[in-house]
Amino acid sequence: MSLISLMDYEQIIGKETTEELYLLAERSKGRRIKMVNSTAAGGGVAEILSRLIPLLNDLGIDTHWEVIKGGEDFFGVTKKIHNALHGEKISFTQRMKEIFLDVNRENLRDNDLDQDIIVIHDPQPVIYIEAKGRTPAKWVWRCHIDISNPNVEVWEFLKGYVEKYNVALFSSPRFSKKLPIPQFLFFPSIDPLSDKNRELEPEFIDQVLERLYIPRDKPIITQISRFDHLKDPIGVIRAYRAVKRHTDCRLVLAGGEASDDPEGEAVLDEVRSEAKGDSDIHIVLLPPTSSLEINAIQRASTIILQKSLKEGFGLTVSEALWKKKPVIGSAVGGIPAQIIPNLTGALVHSIDGTAYQIRYLLSHPDIAKKLGEYGHEYVKEKFLITRNLRRYLLLFHVLSHPGERIIHL
Amino acid sequence: MEGNPFHFYTSSNLVELTGEKADTLEELLTLLQRCTGSAIFYHVFQSYRERHFAIEKYHSDFAQWIFNSLDEEALAERLGFLDVRDFITIRNFRETMLQIITDYIHKYPQSRNRQGKTPFYLCQSVSVVMPTKHIAWGLEDFHKIIEKLGIRSIHYHLIEARLRLGIHTNDFSYWLRTSLKREELARRIEEIDIYLYSLEEIRRMILQKVKEEIES
Repeated sequence: MSLISLMDYEQIIGKETTEELYLLAERSKGRRIKMVNSTAAGGGVAEILSRLIPLLNDLGIDTHWEVIKGGEDFFGVTKKIHNALHGEKISFTQRMKEIFLDVNRENLRDNDLDQDIIVIHDPQPVIYIEAKGRTPAKWVWRCHIDISNPNVEVWEFLKGYVEKYNVALFSSPRFSKKLPIPQFLFFPSIDPLSDKNRELEPEFIDQVLERLYIPRDKPIITQISRFDHLKDPIGVIRAYRAVKRHTDCRLVLAGGEASDDPEGEAVLDEVRSEAKGDSDIHIVLLPPTSSLEINAIQRASTIILQKSLKEGFGLTVSEALWKKKPVIGSAVGGIPAQIIPNLTGALVHSIDGTAYQIRYLLSHPDIAKKLGEYGHEYVKEKFLITRNLRRYLLLFHVLSHPGERIIHL
Repeated sequence: MEGNPFHFYTSSNLVELTGEKADTLEELLTLLQRCTGSAIFYHVFQSYRERHFAIEKYHSDFAQWIFNSLDEEALAERLGFLDVRDFITIRNFRETMLQIITDYIHKYPQSRNRQGKTPFYLCQSVSVVMPTKHIAWGLEDFHKIIEKLGIRSIHYHLIEARLRLGIHTNDFSYWLRTSLKREELARRIEEIDIYLYSLEEIRRMILQKVKEEIES
């Protein structure tokens, strides 16, 4: 885990905000926190924890990270549970439940639960709550996934465990459920110092675009996303074509293939076929380690799109806004939480709407600039890792004052 | 030393999800009737703090949703026009909002069950209030501290204070008036229209007024 300090962020969030975070942490110093999730690397949760946990430790809050251990059969079951929570129909067999429970219980054996707060991330280790009686710790369930329309059988099974926690945390008001425990809003966050978001030298940006054969001779419209029908890459090309009749521009569709998506290759073929014959459309297939390249493409873009048909939270929107880019996004998933219409971007519902907004912003660069600037400020306020840190620090106080609406420290 | 010192506080809030939502005006009315005062406080006075860098048409989340999702602009205007400075309790504020919405539904019955484009999710907040290290003993200190004070502190003392104190003023004016006997400056800070300026602009306006008072 890299050594990072809150002071590294001071020049971004300002002295006053940094001071407030130190003040909030002061009264939690010495508390012992354990975070449990299912993977040490890869995926958004591990990415957030790998930055958040060093920051908590830097503030004197003794925070440990545990990864649940399991075999292929366990992770096969948890993948199915994950998909079911997204609404997919699955057959949730007794055998699957046994594997799920057994691996959780095996992990709990000899587990050090001598903590003040235990934060369980996502459904994989949710059964840890069975050990609640072994420790005076407060238990928190942090759900990172969209459970707004879950498979009822799977959710009912998990709900029995979730209800035993002291509190639950969700990424959007849309994802919250009727539960007998308090639920708090914890937006996902981006790290302004990571390779994906940090400032880049103009020469480096030039080099990356040259390497990817993307000339910078006309406005660049970009969508960063994996090649997946749900991200509507074909719709993006059609919107671009509608714009191109009026205003010359380039389109960049950049992202990785979804390795766990059997349709990924087919979608990519379809996109290539739709783009055929237009040298101003650039389809860029990137390996998962391409954070700096994505950063450079975003920074070189004139407008950034996220024209998804369905979306989880869609943090690519915050990444683009952080770079002060005007963003046009579909009104789905977590995108409306990031785009306030006409203030931090444009929300659209169709290909026509997307095309119109692109044309409008290309012909009104002053308005596009303002949207990007406000977007940057909004991300600074709500979607940076330091805001996530603030939420955790507040949560620790809230857990010590259950039922109080105003807590005086 | 001119009087009692001013202790600067700051307030942060964690947003609590209630799991309740409204898709129509009637459902919003029901939510407003039974929700906690903390929910009203959050949607009217706190959530806009996160958009403090810009001036929006409406500060209140209720007015925003009615405008953006229900397209009932006239109602949004009426709710958006409600001024925090005219209320000293959440109860009064809630009653006024309920009356305005009820009257509107009575006048335009077709608005009652019209489905919004997106739901209104009811939230409430838990606030954590703590003292900062800043203490002002006189106008010069006060000016220096306001210059570098966090935006949350300004919101806490200038806007949240009214409902906390239950009086038609703010913490800054109250202290200037009662402790420093600066009646004119207290009044000039009360007169700042918090709806027309961002919190950063409000900071600059306070600084300007304090500076003028020091130099006078």
